[in-house]
Amino acid sequence: MHRQLGLLLEIQDLKMQRNGLADGSLADLESGVFDIEIADAIKSLEEKVEQLEGRLDRRIVARYRRIARTASRVVVPVINGICYGCFVAVARASAVEADRNSRVETCEQCGCFLYHVD
Amino acid sequence: MQLRDFFSLRSIQLDMVAKTKDEALRELVGYLNIDRRSREILFKMLKRREKLGSTGVGRGIAIPHCRSLVIKRLRVAFGRKPEGLDFDAIDGQPVHYIFLIVAPPIEVSNQYLPVLGKIAQFSKGSGAPSALAEVETASEFMDLLGAGGS
Repeated sequence: MHRQLGLLLEIQDLKMQRNGLADGSLADLESGVFDIEIADAIKSLEEKVEQLEGRLDRRIVARYRRIARTASRVVVPVINGICYGCFVAVARASAVEADRNSRVETCEQCGCFLYHVD
Repeated sequence: MQLRDFFSLRSIQLDMVAKTKDEALRELVGYLNIDRRSREILFKMLKRREKLGSTGVGRGIAIPHCRSLVIKRLRVAFGRKPEGLDFDAIDGQPVHYIFLIVAPPIEVSNQYLPVLGKIAQFSKGSGAPSALAEVETASEFMDLLGAGGS
């Protein structure tokens, strides 16, 4: 997998964790069952996201910020050839490539970064 | 759906090899049958979640969990370590029983929170640790979940 794509995935997953904690049901479970301090956890995740964003290449970060302005998710999975950002089929060449995550690829339709899930 | 319906026999290990918390997370992720790079990302995410606070809920049980893009559908695994291992659990005691729950960002049937809640509820049951200690096969583990974790 491309190193920058790995970073983007990590950032996306951390943002998801952060958003999950801001959501009532998960926050209730996390604080009630696992004794998590929600505000501290959110702050910690935001700091980590910021730190990882600083490791993105200049060109990638420019695109990342552009997408983030309009889309809730910057990186989206491709499952069975379908982009889960816009639910449109991605170009066939990239869908059948051997290591499909070896380069940073974006959806021609919605512009999101793509992660091919096996 | 019952809790047992989310487990497969291959995702249940009653005699884990791991000796540390990190090894336990890696071992459980290994039962999910996903590629190496995805396993690494999932491990990182689980570690990141653990940094926010241990998922060792006490009484020898831990429930590491997270959502990640590298997963296509909700996956669960169970591992037992009879000798116990240090998991920084809330009660400071070693952990013997680990339920792993991972899910994609978006699920059609939205099962992540209900499954997490059900396993947490099952774990709170007074007889859970001793029942989990007594199961001898993966099938018995499934039966136990069917009996008490529906």
